[in-house]
Amino acid sequence: MIKVSNLTKRYGSFTALDNVSFTVDEGTVTGFLGPNGAGKSTTMNIITGYLSATEGTVEISGKDILEDANEAKKLIGYLPEIPPLYTDMTVKEYLSFMYDLKKVKLNKKEHIKEICEITKIDGVYGRLIGNLSKGYRQRVGIAQALLGNPPVLILDEPTVGLDPTQIIEIRNLIAKLGKNHTVILSSHILSEIQAVCDRILVINQGKLVADGTADSLAHDLSDEHTINVRIMGPEVDVVTEIRKIKGVVRADRMGTKEAGTSDYRIETEENADIRVDLFNMASRMNWPILSLGTSELTLEQVFLKLTSTDTVHISSEEGGEE
Amino acid sequence: MGAIFRREIKSYFSSPVGYVCVAAIAAIYGFFYYQVMLAGSSAYVSSVYSSVYLFSMMIIPVITMKSMAEDMKNKTDQALLTAPVGVTSIVMGKFLAAFCVFIIASTVGLIPAAVLEFFANPPWGIIFGNYIATLLYGGAMISIGVFISSLTVSQVIAAVATFLVSIGLMYLDSFAANVQNSVISSVIGFISFTSKYDVFTSGIFSVSSCVFFVSVMAAFVFLTARRLESRRWN
Repeated sequence: MIKVSNLTKRYGSFTALDNVSFTVDEGTVTGFLGPNGAGKSTTMNIITGYLSATEGTVEISGKDILEDANEAKKLIGYLPEIPPLYTDMTVKEYLSFMYDLKKVKLNKKEHIKEICEITKIDGVYGRLIGNLSKGYRQRVGIAQALLGNPPVLILDEPTVGLDPTQIIEIRNLIAKLGKNHTVILSSHILSEIQAVCDRILVINQGKLVADGTADSLAHDLSDEHTINVRIMGPEVDVVTEIRKIKGVVRADRMGTKEAGTSDYRIETEENADIRVDLFNMASRMNWPILSLGTSELTLEQVFLKLTSTDTVHISSEEGGEE
Repeated sequence: MGAIFRREIKSYFSSPVGYVCVAAIAAIYGFFYYQVMLAGSSAYVSSVYSSVYLFSMMIIPVITMKSMAEDMKNKTDQALLTAPVGVTSIVMGKFLAAFCVFIIASTVGLIPAAVLEFFANPPWGIIFGNYIATLLYGGAMISIGVFISSLTVSQVIAAVATFLVSIGLMYLDSFAANVQNSVISSVIGFISFTSKYDVFTSGIFSVSSCVFFVSVMAAFVFLTARRLESRRWN
């Protein structure tokens, strides 16, 4: 559906995007993740034809965004970082203008009414955009992107400025739209990306540093296999006993958080599951285990890990680090 | 193009800009008709128009200053440039809307001449000659103003720069007269707006002047479109 090949964007000597390539399949929701200035918005601006890449091409359903601009643009609904709203127009006038501008061939009145209902802006339909709150402006921006039911939706931080209830509403809306649209969205909110996206692309310093689902990213990046356990028992003995278990690489006492107990952090060999052995050992010694958990990386940790070092480059398809 | 044209016209007249410009030009016409016809007891309509010419120069930058600069500042150009319309259509829509405001203003300026019809025989040939000259000159200046507006995000800079350009064009003839080199002076004479404008003021419809002004409009619409296109690459 969307094919981005070798995209490079330079501003003078500054390279905003460096050889980024990916494809997005039809009917998927893809999330762009990255710190500020990573190149998320630049990528979106190039995909939608607002900016031109220094090198590389973008194809929407086989139509080049530069060569076949008008046809390709008809397939895209775009919500930029700052919604492109004319503050001197009412919501009604604005949507009608955008409808004409996009040369939509649907029943105008019904179509606009339907979109207002979806985005819940029917209540402010007759009001000047300049007088609307940030949340409502954001919704009008989304409504504008939905005009003409384009098969591809590109949303740059769609939930910015919304209150928590609205965020959930918009998130549900995106999930719903994702069923019959191809959606690319960017966000700083990791839980949001995790909740709605089938696939995550992480961009850092203009480079694509990771590509996969939230789970696969977490799995691929957790190079250490650790177990956190809270055991009630004599500290020194517990550590010695744990170290005797097969597959344990190292065990450390992490301190006391609950009276009479201690927390331990156990590193194991790859693919070794010591939980059963650990339980048996504890029951044999009569040391109650109060809590036991593996430490899988959260998306937040994945994000920090990917964006703090620029040498890491992983891809779930290749299944490991390069 | 139609959508952008309608939006721009609506925007001119939903803010005071459109009304103020039309009212100002109409008032200036009224004043000079009064000055020349009544106070001066003269039937020389062209002097009315040559006086208004000066004031048109001040009002045109006000009409054109926002046409491109505002979009770039508010990022609404993202909506225009990602819509399935070509850059030339965008610029044409903007240019025609600004031109339309000027046409409305100039047409309102004909009212004193129409009133005159009841009391005397106004020289309609000369009046229409001047009217068409004003429109052609205005159209050319508006295309330049729209172009300048696309070079900056600041409306104030756009207005001042457009005003300076129109002053420069007005004094081009006297500048040409002072240049010794005959090649340069004939080149400057060719660019001169005033010499082409003056032909109309005696009631002659000059096709070559008409072509000149329309070419200037086309050239600057084209340049503005190129400018929008080039912004993508920076």
